[in-house]
Parts: sequence; structure tokens; C-alpha cells
Amino acid sequence: MTLPTPIIMADDKDVLRDVWFGRIPTCFMLYPDEVTEREAEPFYLLLPRVSYLTLVTDKVKKHFLKVVKAEDVEEMWFEYEGTPLKWHYPIGVLFDLHASNTALPWSVTVHFKDFPERDLLHCPSSSVIEAHFMSSIKEADALKHKGQVINDMQKKDHKQLWMGLQNDKFDQFWAMNRKLMEYPTEEGGFRYIPFRIYQTLSDRPFIQKLFRPVSPEGHVLTLGDLLKEMVPAAIYEPKKYQVVIHGIEPLLETPIQWLSEHLSHPDNFLHICIVPAPND
Amino acid sequence: MAGRRVECTWKRHVAEQLKQRDRVQRQAFEEIIHQYNRLLEKSDLQAVLSERLQTEKYELQDRHDVSPGAESLQQEMAQIRIRHQEELTELHKKRGELAQSVIELNNQIQQKDKEIQSNEAKMLEYQQQIAQLEGECRDLRSSLADLERANQTLRDEYDALQITFSALEEKLRKTTEDNQELVTRWMAEKAQEANRLNAENEKDCRRRQAKLQKELADAAKEPLPIEPKRVSQTPPAGLLDSISNIFGYVDSLLSSLSLSLSLAPLPSLSLCVYSTVCQDAHDGEVNAVRFSPGSRLLATGGMDRRVKLWEVVAGHCEPKGALTGSNAGITSIEFDSAGSYLLAASNDFASRIWTMDDYRLRHTLTGHSGKVLSARFLLDNARIVSGSYDRTLKLWDLRSKVCMKTVFAGSSCNDIVCTEQCVMSGHFDKKVRFWDIRSESIVCELELLGRVTSLDLNHDRTELLTCSRDDLVKIIDLRNNAVRQTFSAQGFKCGSDFTRVTFSPDGSYVAAGSADGVLYVWNVLTGKLDKTLDKGHSSAINSVSWSPSGTYVVSVEKGSRAVLWSDM
Repeated sequence: MTLPTPIIMADDKDVLRDVWFGRIPTCFMLYPDEVTEREAEPFYLLLPRVSYLTLVTDKVKKHFLKVVKAEDVEEMWFEYEGTPLKWHYPIGVLFDLHASNTALPWSVTVHFKDFPERDLLHCPSSSVIEAHFMSSIKEADALKHKGQVINDMQKKDHKQLWMGLQNDKFDQFWAMNRKLMEYPTEEGGFRYIPFRIYQTLSDRPFIQKLFRPVSPEGHVLTLGDLLKEMVPAAIYEPKKYQVVIHGIEPLLETPIQWLSEHLSHPDNFLHICIVPAPND
Repeated sequence: MAGRRVECTWKRHVAEQLKQRDRVQRQAFEEIIHQYNRLLEKSDLQAVLSERLQTEKYELQDRHDVSPGAESLQQEMAQIRIRHQEELTELHKKRGELAQSVIELNNQIQQKDKEIQSNEAKMLEYQQQIAQLEGECRDLRSSLADLERANQTLRDEYDALQITFSALEEKLRKTTEDNQELVTRWMAEKAQEANRLNAENEKDCRRRQAKLQKELADAAKEPLPIEPKRVSQTPPAGLLDSISNIFGYVDSLLSSLSLSLSLAPLPSLSLCVYSTVCQDAHDGEVNAVRFSPGSRLLATGGMDRRVKLWEVVAGHCEPKGALTGSNAGITSIEFDSAGSYLLAASNDFASRIWTMDDYRLRHTLTGHSGKVLSARFLLDNARIVSGSYDRTLKLWDLRSKVCMKTVFAGSSCNDIVCTEQCVMSGHFDKKVRFWDIRSESIVCELELLGRVTSLDLNHDRTELLTCSRDDLVKIIDLRNNAVRQTFSAQGFKCGSDFTRVTFSPDGSYVAAGSADGVLYVWNVLTGKLDKTLDKGHSSAINSVSWSPSGTYVVSVEKGSRAVLWSDM
């Protein structure tokens, strides 16, 4: 089997674009118990899958601040069907994990009071989001290249990555990010694949372990090999579980190296959600 | 190829899945949400406007010209304003981004400027360096040219000097040749003269012989009375007496001749059996003895500070006189070549010269800081060399009576002999040193096996006789400075550090006195002991001297005795 080359081919670029511009139709509704002057109307927004809640919900805040009294407003937070939504997970991950098989649009409840200190992190400013985003990228690069590529980049390159995400600029982001997707040809892939596996009913927030994309014998390992090692139940009971990445279910024979290169989030992690299959 | 097809499968699956997802999740809702938001904006706007209008209505109630058209216009304007505000925020965003890129580009430019500046500075530095090096190069080249010129001049001078030198060498050679020629001619003349004299002598001799024969014939005819034999060891026959008289004449003639011409010396006559003993020659040890060049006078020196003079008459020593003036014992005696001066070295650190005709002390040469063990005239009789216990050799000028040179020999000098150019000294440290008179430096050093006690030269000064404390008497060939012969005998022991030995005048015998009072004589040609003369001395023999005529040998001993050996 020929090994995939690091050159991004034309259809690969389409995949990247589709991943970047993925959107989730969301309906934001104010929590009924919040005191309002008049009735709050829901606010609809197409949220980018790859971004973070607190980064893209300024309009939501502005909309609801029109009806909520200023003195009652604390930090805004979101919740879906009782579960507080962690803003530091990418939006796509939150949707796939909690509401992947529900009816669209995604109904998210907006709160301005009673911030759940135990479940959520505070997000006072965008620089907090930037710090979290950059640290994820560095962690991913540490797994992929021992951190050499990210450390060789200058501060302005890091800034470019963040600005690209913040301003939704695909070209600007990928001008820098493609460096992080390179690997020496003789290796056949990254050192370790940066991935996180989320499960709905799990005591752990996510599974993250060391996993090489190429076996010691030289075989290219696939998504199925990864899951076999990390979540064997998903393999052996395929009817029970769905393996969702970016809202789609890739075939289990997809090479994990290709997945990491093309289906990672902007923070360079491959976020995989294991959800119960719908029994319709 | 199967791999490619498999690859395409999952990739295509992923691509299709993404497209479907977008269709379901995005495209279906995109338009609706957009329109909804617009309606929401509009309704918000309406609400705001209506509120304002309400307040305005209460405030400006008498404003009648509020036309519905104006309301709609205001609404439109408000909408436009909102849209413009949105555009403005977008433009602000864009401006922010552009500002950022501008800042980045500025930074780059600044960096590049700095690099350019540093490069220019470096270039300037390099140019300066180049200029400096060029200057140095020019200087070096010019100095090189100068040196070459100087070198050339020196070479020319050198060539000129070479030519001059070779010309002078040529001249010198010619002059030496001329000199040699003149010398040989002169020698030839002298030889002729000598031959003439010889012929005369022979004639004379023959005449006398003829006369004698006639007398003999006459006497033979007469009967002769027999005389009683004498007790003393004087010769019995008057016949022999007259013979010796004749030989005595010949002796003195020839000895005088041998002084002025370098003729072959007399052969010594077959050696002495008879000895004449002079008891109590001195009060104390007799250290030195020497015949005068004329063979008639004999000088002995001893620890009684006197030099006694004796005349040798027919086998006897008649005391003639004594030379006083020394303050300590005499260590060596020498006559000058004419026999008119006597030089004695003494233990009182000085050497003295007396004139022979009036026995008066003429010069005292002081300067040594130790006893003077030996003093000799140089061949020109105008200078004296003395060797001393203070390890120096001093050269004295007789006209100015001053010490001209002092040479530090390194060891106490026991005896000295001189040739024309060379002074040889024998030392306590077993070495015989050869000194060049003019350059005052050692020409050669010979090491013997014992302390050197005595040196003597043969008549033509080609051989040096040495005696050393290891009881060996050696002959050294002066031409190659090597030991030619060694003489030793079973009973021969060197008695003191100053035991003097001597050549016979013709160089065919060597006489040395031993510590047991026996005089040993060796034959030089055979190298064997010829005679041992033991009847005469009772104590160790200090010095031996052989008369230039060859007929007498005198030896002196520690026991104040002097013995004259003769063959009469």
C-alpha cells in the first residue's frame, strides 16, 4: 500500500474547506427564569463548528442584553437540556456529543445568572480563549513533532493562527497550519496522533493516549485500529455506537494519519465523539 | 492499485459525508436564519423608533408636519444607518488586520535597514583594511629593493677584496720563497766555512800526530822508569794524560764551534767508571747542578742559599767561588748560552742573575707569590721564563727587568725548557704544557702518569726528556708530541718532586738519579739500561748534569754531596 504523501491534493483541500466552514444552526433562548422587561425572542445563529462558544456569541449577548436589566447581568453561560456547555470545547464537539441525532436547529439556553462554578470555566476576555487555543495547538504539536515545529514558529505566526480562527479566515489560518501538518517522509506520519475521544456516559471527560500512526512493522494504522485499542466496545458493538467526527461517520478503514491531517480541528486535535446509535 | 481504490473509498466517503452534512445542517437553515435575523433587527429598530416617537409625541405635540412619509424615511435611514454601522464594524476589523500587517511589514523593513547598515559598516571597515594593507605592501616592496641594492654593493666590494687578497697572497708566497733561498745560501756558506775550519783542524791534528809519533818513536828507543800505582783514582799513565789533553783542546775548540754553528754534537765517550766525590759541597741538600757551556765551570746550588762554582780540572772539582744573595734555598741553576750570566731560581720567590766574570749579583726578579722552582733563559738571552709553586709562569725582560707576561698554568710548575718559539713546562698535575711565547697560549698539553719533575731537551731540540713521579723517564718526540720511548729500571725510583734528569749532549744517553743514590744511565738507541753507577752517593740524587763535551757527568744528592763521574 502506498503511503499518503504530505502534499495536500485538490480534493483534500476541499475536505479542509468543508471542515473549516462547517456550521451548526443554533437557536438561542433565554432562560425563562431570567427577569426580563419584555418577552425575549429567540436568536438564531449559524455557529462555526471549529470555533468556541464565547468567541462567536457577541451578537447573542447584545440581543439578550436588550431585554435583560443591566444590573442582573453577570457572565453569560450556555446550557443544553440541563448540561452546562463548556466553552473550551469546540462547538462542533459539543453538538456532536450532546445533540448529534436531535432535530435541528440546536436549542441552547442562555443564562446570565447563577454561573455554575463547578462545571464551567470563566471566560473574562478573548485573550483567555486565545491562550487556551494556543496551548492546545502546542500540546498537539508536542505529540506530533516533539514541539519542534511550533517552537520554530515566531510569535507573529502564532498570532496569525489565532487571528485566522478569530476572523474566520481559512487561507490565513492554513498558511501557517500546513507547517504543523508536515512530517518527515521516512517516518510515514506524525510521532503520535493528537486525538481526544469523548463519550456521553463516561466518568472521564475524554480519552487521550499515545498512539502511533504507523505500526512497528510498517503498516498504516486506521481509525478502527485506534478505536480497537482505546474504546473496543465501539468496534465490537457497531450497532450500538456511532463514531462521529465533525458531524460525519468516517469509515473505520480510514488511515488515522490522514484523519489527523485533514479532519483535525484548528487546535490540531482530532476530536472523536462516541455517541449511542439512534434506534429508529 | 487496490490500495488506491481503497483509499479513494474512504476519502470519497468522507467527502460525501461532509457535503451531506452541510446540506442538512447548514444550507437548510442558512437562508432562514439570515432572514430571521434581519426581521429581528427590523423589529428591534421598529421598537426603538416607536419608543422614540412616543416620547417625541409627548414632547413635540404641536408638530403637525410629521408626515408618515418622514416616518418611513426615518425608518429607512435608520436601517441604512444600521447597515452602515455593520459595515463600519467590518471595516474596523479589516483596518485592525491591515494595521497589524503594516506593523509587521514595518518591523521587517527596520530589520532589513539594520542589516544594510551593518553590512555597509563592514564594507567600510574592509575598505580601510585594504588601503592599509596596500600601503604596507608598497613599503615592503621599496625596502626589498633597497636591500637588494645594498646586497649587490656588498657583493661587488667582496669581489674586489678577493682579488686584492689573492694578489697579496701571491706576493707573500714569492717573498717566502726568496727568503728560503737566501737562508739556504747562507747555510751553504756557513757549511763551507765550517768545512774549511775542519780541514784546517785536521791538518793541524795530523801535524801534531806526526810530531807525536816522532816523539813516541824517540821515546820508544829510550828505556822508561816504572812509577808506583797511586791510591787515588787518578789516571796512571801520563800517556793517557797527554791524550786527554789533546782531546781537551779538541773538546774546547769543538764545543765552542758547536755553540756558534749548529753542528752535530760530540759523541759521548764510553761512559764513566771513575768518580770523584766532593764531600760537603754544600751545607745541606744540594738541589741543582749545571755545567757551563764551556764545560770547564760547574755550578751547584743548595739549601744553604749559595751557588758554589767549581772548576773541573783533570777529573777534580776545584772550588772557585760562591755566589750569594739568595734568601732561601736554590732550586735551579742555568747559564746563558754564552756562559757569562748565571740564573738561579730560589725558594724566596725570586730569581737572580749574577755575572760570571766578577761573581756579582746583577738582577733580582721578584714577583712570584710562591717558590720559584725553575728559571730559564730564552734563546735570545734577553728574556727569562720562570715557573713557580704559585702555578704561574712569568716572562721577564732583562733590559727593563720587569715581568712582561704572567701566564696562569693551573698547576705548580716543576721545570721548564725553551725552544725558539715554544716554552715547555712540566707540572704537578702530571701535565707537560707547551706554550707559544708570542701568543701566550697553550699549544699542546701532554698528560703523563705521574707528577712531572724534570724536563730536558736534546741538542737539536727535537726530543724532550721527562721524568715523572711514577718512576718513568720518557722521551717525547716534539714533532708529533708523542711519547717515543720510556725508560724504567727495577731500582729506579724518583726521589722527589724536583729530581732532575738529563740527556747526553749527543742525545744517545739519558742519565737519571734515583732515590737510593744510584745513577742510572740508559742507552737511547737500544732503550736498555746501560750503566748503574752506585759507588758514590749515600742518599737520594736530586739533579744530574752532563758536560757539553760529554766527558763528565755530575750528580748531586740530598746528603750535601756532589759526585763527578768521568772516564779519565
